[in-house]
Amino acid sequence: MFRLIPLIAAALLSSGATHAADDVPALLKAADRWRLSNEAMQVETQVQVFNKDGSADKERRYTVFSQPGHKSLVMMRSPAEAGQKVLMLGDDFWLLMPSSQRPLRITPMQKLLGDASVGDIATLSWAEDYTGTLVGEEPCEQQTCVHLTLAASRKAASYQRIELWLGKQRHEPVKADLYVQSDKLAKQARFVLDKPQAPTTVTEMVLLDQLSTHKETHVRYLSRQNRSVPETWLNPMFLARNPSLE
Amino acid sequence: MRSLSWLPVAAAVLGCAALAQAEEAARPAVEWSGEVRSHLDPRSANGSGLLAEADRLSPGLAPAQRSGATLEAGVRGHGHGLSADLLLRTQRFEGGAHDDTARFNELYASGGLPGAPSWQFSAGKKIVAWDVGYGWRPNDVVEQEERRTLLSTTPEGRPLLQLEQFGAETAWSLVWANPTHLNTPRRGADESALALRYYRRDGAVDWHGFARFGEHTHASIGAAAAWVATESLELHGSWRFTQHADGWAMAPGIGNAVVTANPWQPARLGAASQWLVGLSWTNADQLSVLAEAWHDGTALPDSAWDAWNTRTRALAAAGALPGLPAPALAGIAGNLAWQATPWDAVNLRRDNLFMRLSWQHDAWQPALDLLYTPADAGRVVTASLAWQGDRLRIEAGWRRYGGPSGALLAQLPLRALGYLSGTWTF
Repeated sequence: MFRLIPLIAAALLSSGATHAADDVPALLKAADRWRLSNEAMQVETQVQVFNKDGSADKERRYTVFSQPGHKSLVMMRSPAEAGQKVLMLGDDFWLLMPSSQRPLRITPMQKLLGDASVGDIATLSWAEDYTGTLVGEEPCEQQTCVHLTLAASRKAASYQRIELWLGKQRHEPVKADLYVQSDKLAKQARFVLDKPQAPTTVTEMVLLDQLSTHKETHVRYLSRQNRSVPETWLNPMFLARNPSLE
Repeated sequence: MRSLSWLPVAAAVLGCAALAQAEEAARPAVEWSGEVRSHLDPRSANGSGLLAEADRLSPGLAPAQRSGATLEAGVRGHGHGLSADLLLRTQRFEGGAHDDTARFNELYASGGLPGAPSWQFSAGKKIVAWDVGYGWRPNDVVEQEERRTLLSTTPEGRPLLQLEQFGAETAWSLVWANPTHLNTPRRGADESALALRYYRRDGAVDWHGFARFGEHTHASIGAAAAWVATESLELHGSWRFTQHADGWAMAPGIGNAVVTANPWQPARLGAASQWLVGLSWTNADQLSVLAEAWHDGTALPDSAWDAWNTRTRALAAAGALPGLPAPALAGIAGNLAWQATPWDAVNLRRDNLFMRLSWQHDAWQPALDLLYTPADAGRVVTASLAWQGDRLRIEAGWRRYGGPSGALLAQLPLRALGYLSGTWTF
């Protein structure tokens, strides 16, 4: 049922380009729904990193509990990171390393040190975290796109500016340029849909690093389900505990 | 008597496990992870410290600083309300000595109280790590983890009973550490003690309050805060006042005399305060700086170390006198070796400065850190390099102790030590 929501939203929003241009927040909400069907979700993501020459570099798995009010809990599932957790409450972040069992307060910059920030990208909400302005219509990826410029509405957002291109008809995300605080282009993203002819959801996000490594990161959505977690899970000191995730 | 003291704890663990099992009856998942690590640990002995001098006077007296090789495996799992962290380790040292270890770093039952999910319990052997510092933590009053180890390892948890309550912005934690050591004379982290932590989140600031009552060190209170001031800068501070602390004291009236028994004895010291202030800064290029300064009022004061230095020099001078018979030399050597007794402390000097510079560049992380004791200009410099692959992690590091000849850190038995480590995770 939730897969119909993007289509319905897109149909409503694409009733006229002029209407869409006047309602950028609704455009962003529609674009969000291609990745996130609900405010409270459990998202299983697989992250594969490839070197510049195309060889495999590493693979990571994350369970992300994305909750209303800019609250997210990222649990690392790969062997190399098993037991690590990152809690994000608005602009505040905590990290737990399993060897110490001590929740550490970290800065937004420290959050970007690990690969967990990639998991964060998977669940960031354009509609909630950014304000957008319409640039115009442009050809992109063999179709006509709506080009939006997004400015972060929270200082701790991983990317302060995003240039986002949405399909004109369905408002599905097509590609994005992600800029860090210094306004340097950090990553370029493109979005892979499930069915090219009648798409219902984004299945994969491909990020190309533009800052240093020029590696390509594939963020695959393995599963998405509605899930509200207990309030206690979002207490920083609760990170040291091991609740069952089932 | 001691075996009887286990009964309530064992009953509590079993009871808690049953509670957790009931709570998670519909959750069959057991999660496992682990690692195998091998490392070489080259060591270089200090040829000019007091133990070297004692060994020169009486060969074989001081333990040799042997290089070694270690193979260890760690397996962690949790499910059905139980958590475990098992360590298996075998070590081989130069000269053929070896040491084999098998232990649980953690083994405990935990879960929520039925009908009250904000209340959580734990019972068993567990790591409970508190406080906000990195180089040292005055309020890490339960685990009392060894800090600044050369190669990071999972510490061994403490036997404890824990009850916690979590709200949206606050958390309480009450711990009975080492319940089986009640009415037994244990020192430091092994002392039976009740400990309480209160946590409150206030926007960009984390506030912590601590209280502890140890069986023989009695009461202590503390507070700590961590504040993310900007997107790059975090500031933290911690303070603790204790009625008593475990430490070392020299028998009165010894002076520089050669004696027949170790003049340094364990002692319950008087009231003392401890504090730490620090900052961590990370920029967009993933360069990080950690700087901390701390004062440990439970460490021996500078005046005591001055007397220690005077006695050490006097003993060394006595050992250098010509024509001494072998028994006299052995006596002086033994007295010199006993001078190493108070080195068994978390901080040698009361005032310490620590700085660490690290850089995360793709899979590589080089780091350089310095521990400096202003009182005698002693220093410990550590350089390390780590590479993290998909499942394989390679690490190498080198640590060197130094300073003027009178500095405590320059007199430790080791001059330098290093490691080369490979870890494979599964």
